[in-house]
Amino acid sequence: MEELDFATAFPFSEGAKKYISNSLINEKVIEIAIERIKRGMAGEIRTTALFSENDKIEWIASFATARMILGFLKNSNITNRFAVTESKIARSMLDKIDEKTVERVGEIFGITTINDGKNIIIDMCAFLKNSPRSIDYKLINRKLTGGRMEIKASEKRRLIEEAIRKRIEIIPLVKDPPQEIKAAASRIDALVPKSSTTVVIKVDNHPPCIAKLLEGAKNHINLNHQARFYLATYLTGINVSEDDITKIYSDLPDFNDRITRYQIGQIKKKGYTTPSCATVMTYGLCCAVCKIGSPLNWHKLSKDRKEEIINGSK
Amino acid sequence: MDQNERKFASEVFSEYYKGAKIEIPKIEQREFGFGNIKKIDARHLSFGTREEFRKYLVNNTPLFVSHSASYYEFPSGTPMVRKGFLGADLVFDLDIHAEGKYGAYEKLEAVKSDAVRLLKDFIMGDFGVKKENLIVVFSGNRGYHIHIRDERFRSLMGEERRELVDYVMGNGLNYREFFSLSDTKPQRLLGPTPSEGGYRGRFAKETIRAVREKPSTISKTLKEDKLEFFIKGIEEGNWSRTSIAYEDVIKRLGAIAQTLPVSSVDTDAGVTQDLSKLIRVPNSIHGETGFIARVIDIANLENFDPFNDALVNDKKSIKIEFLEDVPELRFRKETVGKFKKGDIAEFETPISMFYLLKSSAKMR
Ligand code: SF4
Repeated sequence: MEELDFATAFPFSEGAKKYISNSLINEKVIEIAIERIKRGMAGEIRTTALFSENDKIEWIASFATARMILGFLKNSNITNRFAVTESKIARSMLDKIDEKTVERVGEIFGITTINDGKNIIIDMCAFLKNSPRSIDYKLINRKLTGGRMEIKASEKRRLIEEAIRKRIEIIPLVKDPPQEIKAAASRIDALVPKSSTTVVIKVDNHPPCIAKLLEGAKNHINLNHQARFYLATYLTGINVSEDDITKIYSDLPDFNDRITRYQIGQIKKKGYTTPSCATVMTYGLCCAVCKIGSPLNWHKLSKDRKEEIINGSK
Repeated sequence: MDQNERKFASEVFSEYYKGAKIEIPKIEQREFGFGNIKKIDARHLSFGTREEFRKYLVNNTPLFVSHSASYYEFPSGTPMVRKGFLGADLVFDLDIHAEGKYGAYEKLEAVKSDAVRLLKDFIMGDFGVKKENLIVVFSGNRGYHIHIRDERFRSLMGEERRELVDYVMGNGLNYREFFSLSDTKPQRLLGPTPSEGGYRGRFAKETIRAVREKPSTISKTLKEDKLEFFIKGIEEGNWSRTSIAYEDVIKRLGAIAQTLPVSSVDTDAGVTQDLSKLIRVPNSIHGETGFIARVIDIANLENFDPFNDALVNDKKSIKIEFLEDVPELRFRKETVGKFKKGDIAEFETPISMFYLLKSSAKMR
């Protein structure tokens, strides 16, 4: 892959910086950056075809500019959505390029692997730092020896995707940017529906594991598959309506109304019930010692006992 | 403890700290906490050098001394976010909860064997940590701590460390997934071999050990030749060499799978995953027992006996009177007690101090 193409596809790489160091923030780049943030907010995984060298450089610059706008805006919801979308787009690139280039992207994040001809081997810490916290990536189900383990080629790409998301999610605050950036930020801000963030249910009425997930959703943290599934089964279990559950999920960075409603529907249709505490533990989502067997039994506890558990888990 | 007794303990502590081996890497980046009433009454303290720290201990003789597993740019900064997190040792805390003041001590051997297993099989085996990058420490009371100072783990955050806790505790372990059926005819039951690493290898090794010891684990009729034939098969990953239905083989081995994790790792205290928690300073004195939270030479771990090896060296004889009934214990490899309320006895300093600190006795 040509240097410029690499930088265009992976604008967070060191090499990308050299293309933008001289280019100023101009009107066109700001427009592209705004479009890019909007694409992030909508979760649209589409790439833009770029032909001329100039287009590519502007595209790289728009990434840095978008980050500047987000750094000034300080809206974790938009930032996290942006990070999810950008990482998914980068992932779609990773699926298309050759192994050598994938390796190069991995190295940016310390994801280096050895290919012994049969297996791809990775250091367990690189794996831990970049794996999604889902049951498929639980360490316990892996062959781990001497601090190393095997992964599949597709898993390696998934680790890189996660690393990209985490990297983009961390945005330095921008206190006093140029006027154009401020103006762009307020245009983005105007797009945010102001009413959507009403809290539907009170966090502290629920067991610690659920409270944590609700807090997480509220703070626009990208909950993994198990967490969403568990939360949805729990909320259905205590008879929260589909609309209200959807509202809670709308705070997630990669929220999609249609998919969310479909999934809630499936939970009801297939009769998935709230998992037991033991199962929640295997998801890695249990965070206290409630000794209640099922999270639903939380509501049978006395007020004192609840407080005792909550204080103990802090 | 009355003032007089506290003064006595302080003098013993102070004398010990004058010569204690304090090896805290990057001491200037650690947060410290001290306690006299609770385990930690004050925290967010820091020291520039080991000597400065030693001086503090000699002069102030706190009952409990802890430091952060984390390294910080500004270890005394508050709130936590201001400290500037730079990384953290990976610490495992093995502990027993038992009834009463003395209930834990009979179980210390069991915790130690868990510590040995955690160290050898998991930390050194599965995680590949080298001996020189870790220390094993007696906690000073009811368990053991393992501090891993390997660079690789330093930047792991809480959730990632939680994965490691899950791993050693066996949370989510499904041993049935170790097995599959071959696509040959006749079909074979394929499973792990003892030469594999991790849980798979341990499961195979443990199965071989268990069936040798007690063939009925699998079947009463599994004897001599048949037994060895079965074991040979396992060594090659072929678990089919019995006349028992495959599903039954798997089912009967469930109990073995349950023995593989290390269950005494403390999950409540969460020192492994909570990066803000403090841990007892290695080689400091534990204020509830007067025992030294001794750094143990790994080669001697299996023989370590806190009631002999964690005592301060002070042969002065101290007379005490018991304030409550106390069960029999073994100090310096000899039986001591049991005692009844009102009994009077005389021991060398560390033993008398142990009962005083436990509030089971007063000075006479
Ligand atoms: S014990 Fe059950 S209810 Fe409590 S935090 Fe864990 S999973 Fe949730």
